[in-house]
Amino acid sequence: MEAGKGSSDLEQEVLSQGLCTSCGACVNICPYIKVVKDKVAVIEPCGLTEGKCYGFCPRTPIDIAALDRSVFGKTRSDYSLGPYISIEMAQAKDSEIRCRAQYGGVVSALMKYALETGEISNAVLTKPFDSAMMPKSVLVEESSQLQECAGSNYIASATLAKLNEAAKQNKVSIGLVGIPCQVLALRKMQASKHETSARGVKLVIGLFCTWALSYKGFYEFLKGKVDPSLIKRIDIPPPPANIMVLETAAGDIRFSLDEVRKFIKLTCSVCYDMTSEFADISVGMVEGIEDWNTLIVRTPAGKRFIDKAKKAGVINTRPLEQTRLGHLKEASSLKKKRAVDAIRKRTNDKSNLLYLRLSAQEKKKYL
Amino acid sequence: MGTLELNQPGKTVLMLGNEAIARGAIEAGVDFCAAYPGTPSTEIPESLARVAERFNIYVEWSTNEIVALEVATAASIAGLRALVAMKQPGVNVCADFLMAINLTGTNGGLVLVAADDPRAMSSVNEQDSRNYARHADLPLLEPADCQEAKDMTRWAFELSEKLGLPCILRTVTRLSHSRRNVKLGDLPQKKRTARFKGVYICRDQDLLVAQHATLHQKLERAWEEFEASQFNFYAGPGKAKFVIVTSGSGWLYSREAVGALGLQDKVGILKIGTTWPLPEKFIVAHLKNVTEILVVEEVDPFLEQNIKIMLAEQAKTLGPIEVYGAKSGHLPAYGEMTQDKVAHALTSIKGLKPRVRDKKYVEKVKELALAYIPPRVPTFCTGCPHRASLWVIKSALKLDGRDGFVTGDIGCSSIGTGLTGYFQVKTVHCMGGGIGLATGFGKLDRFAFDQPVIAICGDSTFYHAAIPALINARVHNSNVLMVVLDNGGTAMTGFQPHPGSGFDVLGQPAPTVEIDNICRGIGVEVRVRDPFEISQAVQDLYDMLQESGPRVMVFRRRCFRIEAKEKLQKKYFVDQTKCIGDDCGCARFCSRVFNCPGIVWDQQAQRAMIDEVACTGCGVCATLCPIGAILVRGAAS
Repeated sequence: MEAGKGSSDLEQEVLSQGLCTSCGACVNICPYIKVVKDKVAVIEPCGLTEGKCYGFCPRTPIDIAALDRSVFGKTRSDYSLGPYISIEMAQAKDSEIRCRAQYGGVVSALMKYALETGEISNAVLTKPFDSAMMPKSVLVEESSQLQECAGSNYIASATLAKLNEAAKQNKVSIGLVGIPCQVLALRKMQASKHETSARGVKLVIGLFCTWALSYKGFYEFLKGKVDPSLIKRIDIPPPPANIMVLETAAGDIRFSLDEVRKFIKLTCSVCYDMTSEFADISVGMVEGIEDWNTLIVRTPAGKRFIDKAKKAGVINTRPLEQTRLGHLKEASSLKKKRAVDAIRKRTNDKSNLLYLRLSAQEKKKYL
Repeated sequence: MGTLELNQPGKTVLMLGNEAIARGAIEAGVDFCAAYPGTPSTEIPESLARVAERFNIYVEWSTNEIVALEVATAASIAGLRALVAMKQPGVNVCADFLMAINLTGTNGGLVLVAADDPRAMSSVNEQDSRNYARHADLPLLEPADCQEAKDMTRWAFELSEKLGLPCILRTVTRLSHSRRNVKLGDLPQKKRTARFKGVYICRDQDLLVAQHATLHQKLERAWEEFEASQFNFYAGPGKAKFVIVTSGSGWLYSREAVGALGLQDKVGILKIGTTWPLPEKFIVAHLKNVTEILVVEEVDPFLEQNIKIMLAEQAKTLGPIEVYGAKSGHLPAYGEMTQDKVAHALTSIKGLKPRVRDKKYVEKVKELALAYIPPRVPTFCTGCPHRASLWVIKSALKLDGRDGFVTGDIGCSSIGTGLTGYFQVKTVHCMGGGIGLATGFGKLDRFAFDQPVIAICGDSTFYHAAIPALINARVHNSNVLMVVLDNGGTAMTGFQPHPGSGFDVLGQPAPTVEIDNICRGIGVEVRVRDPFEISQAVQDLYDMLQESGPRVMVFRRRCFRIEAKEKLQKKYFVDQTKCIGDDCGCARFCSRVFNCPGIVWDQQAQRAMIDEVACTGCGVCATLCPIGAILVRGAAS
């Protein structure tokens, strides 16, 4: 997986190009790369020509077929949603969990179940609101700590930096919830020849993601509208609403998504993955239904765990209608198409896809 | 009993130049000493502090040099004898007041010791403070050795009192910091009391002009005194055609050069100790039959120019005399004087064969030097909080990504210009200069200036000179982030106390004035953080960089050299079974990049290693090691 490049290349090809996803894979593995808020920087060139930082980055070369083989033992046949075993709708049985969750509460319910049954003993999660609106990645060991990690605030935090930090404490049997770029980086870490913290990750729940916002711009924007410390929850209702809703102690504040779009991270425009294609299980919203999730089971380990959870009555499931599945595939394909177009526009070279190494079939579909 | 207190007139003792100055002041019955620390002057007040109780001398480390001169002048006005000491830039700081007390005059003997640092070995400028004597019309004395340092200081008090003017005594590093034999004088019975009388106003137009005229008359009196001074003498053959005219440290360099070249019978040396105003009659008397002179002095051609003016005035008496020195290009008007430079000037003027050292000798010296003296770069001490602070600053600026930069100041933090400070500091000028500059940069936004500016200064510098600029930043809402590196004392000169230290020059408890309270009073946002908590400090400094207007971050952590002396520190070691050497992605971060002299690379084991002799036990490296291989000895892992 290592491309024989180091931190200077990472700086040149990713960081200075605005392509950093702030996933944190390169942070806390050496003293040179640091993250504050969602800003990652190489503080000082380490001088090494080859580095894990470059190898792990979700925006350095990634051969989709090779990674498919490493995670799933085979390559994909579905070029919109990636490898999967099953797709259905799901929701947490526990209404209290559902109440706090962004949609159907499936992620919270599954993590709680995994921690309580010893399926995992630690979980790297994200607390959506830490100081000044910035989310914070946390390592939890008790299911009671899960509560504050429910929901999203649409700003990416360096989740994998937390995972790398956990490696110092020799943590094993870790569960991780991440957005597609984080899951992608995690799989690169696991496929690496190096000893990494990712080896201890046993369960990966990936979230659907269309884009994330850059902290600074979005925070300044919100500050102009409301005291950010009053915000309890941020939601983007399913299309066609095209709005963002801030739930605050003083009532809801709504504004058009168009106002927010200018804060979307540059790197999201080149993202090829909407549904966390390399996760064990992917979870996202369901078009038009607020209190259910879409649940994609991808790996045998994911399936075993979901079957167990269903049996234990942790989640309810029901089939996802064909039209909704169609729309999901369409949305995911659209993101891929847009990414490919954005990359080609960036490189000004039709055959240069930057970090993406696509199979012939995928090239045929998206180029 | 130390040599300073020894009441044995005529006894010869070995003394540091600065101790000799202090002893001279004691023999003169000094009552009062105020100073701001600065190399090479610091040992003068420190010596007086050591005997302060014995001789009833009031000693203080003042907030800065102008305050020192002001408080010392108060003592003089009240009829006491007072001494102020400072390094060369300090004379600039106190110049404003100096240019007023020359007009109002003083009462009790007031001596200003200006300690110049040729070659700027411990300074940020090279300056010849003698120019202030001419500028302010004040008498100037230049001791040539330790004996003169003592004797001239003693005499300077009498002269000052006689003239009603402050007297400037100029020393240089090689005199202040060398040791020679000094014959002691007697100790006086002190019995002065302080009382204010008279008027000292420098304000009224007509009066001012009259005061200026009086000043010139006083200087005439000084000139008369100087004509008979024992500090001016001639050494050499009776009818020399060639004479070296020299002052201060130039005397010994000249004597050695003449001796080394075997020119004792041909070249005379006219040594002047009272260099402003010049003892013209004395000089003319010794130049009657001379046709050529070489002027040897440090740093500016101060004596040379004054002599030239005098020669022009005395042209009828003396006839044409060729003057060699800085203007003729035989000696540099910069850097430190050496015996070699004087010898070189002599051989080239006299057309003699240049003195060449044996090549083998030169090579041997080089070889030995390399064998026994490892090459070293200026570096922060082991455990220095500034190293952590500069790493935090570098990290925050890099994360910020807007090409921000650091304006620097004087003191230990100025080492941040180099490797040990990760080359972060881009400007260094004078005390308080960093924040002043930064305040200006912070107002350039209308000209598309968008780089963040961090001004760093030490805590002592903050009190000394940074406050007016910070007030300026506040009232003009300048976009500047000031970082005060608060290590609890004036560290670079030997940890003298400052207004925040809580103790005085005698080590007695003293009230404190807190930096953060001053900032709050000025109305700027201030945060106080520990630079050893590196991650938190980076995050907070980064956050502050995102804000606008004036802001202050105080990185507070006591100088670790002091901390380690006073308290037993933890012993750190590298667990070489945990350290994976070059297999780690850190690329020898601790020994190569973080650059603390306490961590070295163990060539044999190919692992990092703590140098337990150098390590002060601050523990910062342990928090930075990516795999946690640096541990506390004896602690459970």
